[in-house]
Amino acid sequence: MRQTMMQRVGRPAIVLALAAACRGTKAGAAPPQTDAPLAITYPSHIAAGGAAPHGATLTNPYAGDTAAVTAGAALFTAMNCDGCHGAGATGWVGPSLADGRWRYGGTAGEIFSSIYYGRRQGMPAFGGIMPAAGIWKVVTYLQSLEPPNDVPTESWK
Amino acid sequence: MSAVRSEKQFLWNRQSPRADGMALFAQWSDDRTVSFEANMMKVHLTSVAVGAACVTAVALAAVAFTPGAIAGPRITVAAASDDGEWTMPGKDYASTRYSGLSQITPANAAHLHPVWSFSTGVLGGHEGQPLVVHNTMYVVTPYPNTLYAFDLAQPDYPLEWKYRPAVSPNAVGVACCDAVNRGAFYADGKIVYNLLDGHTVAVDANTGKQLWETTIADVSNGETTPMAPFVVKNRVLVGASGGEFGIRGWVKGLDLQTGRVVWTGYNIGADSELLAKPGQFKPFYDHASNLGAATWPKNAWQTGGAPVWGWMSYDSTLDLVYYGTGNPAPYNPEQRAGDNKWTTSVMARRPEDGTLVWAYQFTPHDSWDFDATAEMVLADLRIAGTMRKVLVHFDKNGFAYTLDRTSGQVLVAQPFVQENWAKRIDLETGRPVVDSSKLTGASRGNVKNICPTLEGGKSPASPVAYSPRTHLFYVSTSNMCMDYQAVPAAHIRGTPYIGANSPYYAGAGGYMGAFVAWDASVGRKVWEIKERWPVWSGVVATAGDVVFYGTLDGWLRAADARTGKILWSFKVGSGVVGNPITYRGPDGKQYLAVYAGIGGDWFLLAGDVRSDDPADVRPPADFAKDLARHTSQGGIVWIFAL
Repeated sequence: MRQTMMQRVGRPAIVLALAAACRGTKAGAAPPQTDAPLAITYPSHIAAGGAAPHGATLTNPYAGDTAAVTAGAALFTAMNCDGCHGAGATGWVGPSLADGRWRYGGTAGEIFSSIYYGRRQGMPAFGGIMPAAGIWKVVTYLQSLEPPNDVPTESWK
Repeated sequence: MSAVRSEKQFLWNRQSPRADGMALFAQWSDDRTVSFEANMMKVHLTSVAVGAACVTAVALAAVAFTPGAIAGPRITVAAASDDGEWTMPGKDYASTRYSGLSQITPANAAHLHPVWSFSTGVLGGHEGQPLVVHNTMYVVTPYPNTLYAFDLAQPDYPLEWKYRPAVSPNAVGVACCDAVNRGAFYADGKIVYNLLDGHTVAVDANTGKQLWETTIADVSNGETTPMAPFVVKNRVLVGASGGEFGIRGWVKGLDLQTGRVVWTGYNIGADSELLAKPGQFKPFYDHASNLGAATWPKNAWQTGGAPVWGWMSYDSTLDLVYYGTGNPAPYNPEQRAGDNKWTTSVMARRPEDGTLVWAYQFTPHDSWDFDATAEMVLADLRIAGTMRKVLVHFDKNGFAYTLDRTSGQVLVAQPFVQENWAKRIDLETGRPVVDSSKLTGASRGNVKNICPTLEGGKSPASPVAYSPRTHLFYVSTSNMCMDYQAVPAAHIRGTPYIGANSPYYAGAGGYMGAFVAWDASVGRKVWEIKERWPVWSGVVATAGDVVFYGTLDGWLRAADARTGKILWSFKVGSGVVGNPITYRGPDGKQYLAVYAGIGGDWFLLAGDVRSDDPADVRPPADFAKDLARHTSQGGIVWIFAL
């Protein structure tokens, strides 16, 4: 089971820390946000006041599907993802996607968003040319990768 | 390490337009440029050694300030003939990187020591070189492409100004191999350089104010712009990278005064778009028309690469600009049957209107990513008893070429590193005699043991130097081989268009690099210094018969130009992929300047990647496991003196 840094720190700890830092603010007492457009949740982000905004939590329809892992790996090459992220997604000009760590969040929904919308620093938005099913298969492939054994310590001894 | 010495290094007068004491003015003059003026008239200073780390001298100024005459603005006239300055990337239009300064000699080079350093705060590969014009040093960083102007006429070299352009971060991910910048060009009071995201800017060399900005390239189409512009007369010549994104390579000629694009000459496609005009385009070996399109499958040239990201040279007598073109796209050659002209070629154009006069292709139907973007050094050499106007080029493919630069005829072509993809270069046809067992392609599977690698027998980003005193070329080389597995690639606009995996390993002998002295008259190695890792820095040669280069593990070295003996080494804190320069300071002394800051493909291969990002951790390449044990990322500008 991979862990992101935020997952290791844990959301409750962040909530407590923020609650302590923002005296006078009641954690969890956010107003309803029914007037805001629904957006994707980013559970690794810090929530002001300890109250996470309303948002959609995307569910990977292929979670645990080994055939989707294989299909996602093929798409990773066919869509030229490996040209930036390297063979096996171990990193090249683009960051490693196989180290168990994520710039923009490592939940299935966060990874889906990164591929669908693109990211700054040149990550193209693939949502205009890939159907959602294909993006989910790539997500399934990336979440199946095991981090290399020299994360976090690289030793020359 | 040599100790920092305590001596009076600065004692001179400097006149300033303002005369109100030691006040330091920092004012926002616009949204990009911060201007500094320190006003002092007579400066006496001593250096103080700091710490065991022996980093640099900290100047303690005892200032005797004399209000007085108010001078006019700093004079910023180009003085390329003045060996005290360094106004363009290659030192001169011939790209010799040779300086006539001679204070540093084999007898005293061991006394070199650092006198100043400056962190750029940028982690990308610090390729390129500073400029020194009228006692100001200009430094361009990798993305975000900040331009610094340091006042060499004051102690501690404070900033006169810095210019911070708005560069799109998208370019960082589209640049194939790190967000590098190869430097600026000084002309007509302007510092001209490229931003990574497809813009050329001209900045007033005196004030730091932007004079013009021109969009030259399209990042969303795979184009980025790390090369240094090249200014000839009233034209600014620029090109774009993107051989890994299937761009269609070009060179543009901009008006120096306004930045307006005057002409665009493509490297591939129909003759008319190459600016190859009937009766004026006369390649030495190829006589058919429209070869830039006819040597490709239908329309494949439209995404065929031929980027321009290296260096340019100019012969004012012949009125020709020379530059090299990069690889054909994609890397899988079976998708582009034919010679793929004019990829991996040298092009000779008229600077005024871009007219193509001749071209020569080093690696027809390149199967190995052998870009020909390395510098073209112009020299007059005696070849077989006759003085010839030649162009010398050390290609990624491992051969050193000596060409007649009036015609493009190959006079000498010999391997300068271990290579096995070609048996020789046929001087009758100008074509390599290829070992067919080393041809790559998706149907050929994993082709083993090809030398050199696609990093090149020499990196095009690491220019050589030529000394007219020794008549030798000084070359940073790589001794590596590769396996090459091509696969079919689909062109999707805005994504990489590659189609090959190509792991490297050390070539025969086990060392991965060497610093070489080369006789281009006959094509012969004179001496070499073996290095553990590929040598990836540029070179400067001097009239003191000392040459300077740096190593990937962060050593700056001085070597005897005649014997190859290492005279001095200093660990500069990060691997050297930039190009050392030398200049005369306001005090009359010879200085040496260089960037530290490993990068280019080496930040990708060393495993020490994105050292500012804990969300990106990866192992080093198998062949370079130890490199990150000896160096890490981070840019530093260094200045040394005796």
